[in-house]
Amino acid sequence: MHNQLDRLIWRRHRRLFLVAGGLALLGCFMSTILSLHGLPHSATQLVDGNIQNWNVYMGAYFSGFPGWIVAVYWLAGLLIMNQDLKDNFNQFLFTSGFSRRRVYWSKIKIAMAALFVIAVLTIALEYGMLWVMKPAGVGFHLAWPGVLTSWIVGLLSSIGMFSLTWFAALIVGQTGALMVTIVGFTLSLVGSSTISVNILRESGVALNAEQQAWLMGVSFLVAAIILFVWGAALYNHLSLEHNGEYLLFPKLKVPVYIVFVVYVTSLSVWGTDGWSLVFWFLASAIFGYCWLWRPRLGEMFHQWRSRRG
Amino acid sequence: MTLQVTQLSKQINGRPIVEDISFQWTPGEIIGLVGRNGVGKTTLFRTMINQYVADAGKVTVDDHDIVTTPEEQRQVFFLDVQYNFLDNYRLWELPDFYGDVYPQFDQQRYLALLTQFKLDRNSQYRRLSKGMRALTNMILALTSNATYIILDEPFDGLDVIVRENIATMIIDEIADQKKGFLISSHDLNELDGLSDRVLLLKDSHLVHDYNLEDVRAKAKKLQLVFKDKQIPAVLKDHSKLIRVSGRVLVVVITDYTPAIDQQLKALQPVLFEELPLTLEDLFRANLAHDTGYQLMK
Repeated sequence: MHNQLDRLIWRRHRRLFLVAGGLALLGCFMSTILSLHGLPHSATQLVDGNIQNWNVYMGAYFSGFPGWIVAVYWLAGLLIMNQDLKDNFNQFLFTSGFSRRRVYWSKIKIAMAALFVIAVLTIALEYGMLWVMKPAGVGFHLAWPGVLTSWIVGLLSSIGMFSLTWFAALIVGQTGALMVTIVGFTLSLVGSSTISVNILRESGVALNAEQQAWLMGVSFLVAAIILFVWGAALYNHLSLEHNGEYLLFPKLKVPVYIVFVVYVTSLSVWGTDGWSLVFWFLASAIFGYCWLWRPRLGEMFHQWRSRRG
Repeated sequence: MTLQVTQLSKQINGRPIVEDISFQWTPGEIIGLVGRNGVGKTTLFRTMINQYVADAGKVTVDDHDIVTTPEEQRQVFFLDVQYNFLDNYRLWELPDFYGDVYPQFDQQRYLALLTQFKLDRNSQYRRLSKGMRALTNMILALTSNATYIILDEPFDGLDVIVRENIATMIIDEIADQKKGFLISSHDLNELDGLSDRVLLLKDSHLVHDYNLEDVRAKAKKLQLVFKDKQIPAVLKDHSKLIRVSGRVLVVVITDYTPAIDQQLKALQPVLFEELPLTLEDLFRANLAHDTGYQLMK
């Protein structure tokens, strides 16, 4: 029966994986071609000495882990969960004789397997193209520390991104609102990673670049595990009458509100004064309230005015 | 073999939609679920089949709770009209999904029925007309070979030919007593001649569970004309007036006894004619006072 469920999920999403794989390969192909065409005549090495470090390698002409893979993981997490909700495939699965827990983990298993194949193919394409198409006289010398770190941390970051969009799509039931939420959150992650390093430094934990890279990888892994497990518990109680509502789990409204206010306030006030704290706290509290509870302010105003007049 | 619904309740946004619903369903039965639009028929189905998480109660198949023993769900077929994921698939591809869920799915019969009903197996599901979709859904339901088949408003908006096709398929399927149907409708005429039992849903509750054979055995629909314009007391006491046209009265007497027969004949009516009794007549007679059934259509 396990195979039947896997087959159902694969049949449902194989076109999505095909498109995602095509996107990653095409994007990687284009960026590699651009890198090759952008090589200065004097360049003799595609990869510099940093490849010897246990750090994610990202040079001017070559990156150890193509960013397209991260993007595809991000997109797949979002689309798989959101499409299953929108197209009512979840409803079909809930009536299919498989437990919700098994459905949930099978989806993750199929997605991880398919995305891993996409990642391997994309990496092979990038490395292969550079190896085969590099101009004569240009060196392409790799070293395991940089390559391995790039692959492992890159893969962990990708899985982390997948888990973020996967979880968001599990709890948010409106596609437009989901996109805005998840894009905003992803962009803010860039700022929060810098802040985290500063917080650690000020706490007396000084990390070098290599340690930071591995810490990021581990953090993504921990976040992914938490979100996957939490998602499994929520999926078990997913009741589909809330389809189309902003939050598919009404009881999450208050926790989401608190996380939003704390996250936005702490992200915005880092390194600023107390007035900024007050401003951002009030701004995020008001915005978050309007965003999650959607008070009909216009209607309330008209009612208030008619009562007065 | 029995499907048992026990005290099933579901609230949506704090409002009870179905409350304390209990009934038993055995193979060989065609049960009609009737109620006005929005009364909670679809919610009941979706809660029964675990798409909605029930607030209370349970559904068991052969004493196995379908939430804790989900494999039992494979004995129940429910095709939700909102399954948009089917839209992009061609009809010949649909058994790929249903074949994996229903172990007894009969793919050959599925393709044969598509041909019989002149449905192009290469058509995409979304390109089908409403009637064609309904037929395809029915073919999927029948070829799933599930024991319990739930059909949500299967006749809604269909022309008379498609309706007859569907009704015929259901009747043919029930002959060997191995399958049961639970069919919802807000129009009683659709269930007439099809259902053995009718469940009436009203105000979130299951208010009546009728065995139609018993009800029909006792009831009579009569067309009467009396010499004078006054309605006799026996009719006032024992019948429900369905229609008045001049001096012609059409009445339903739900418990037609020899004593009532004698009293009516003693009045020497000018016209005394028995009419075929429809399901709608029965419900008008039984429930007009307490269900507002007359507003249902």
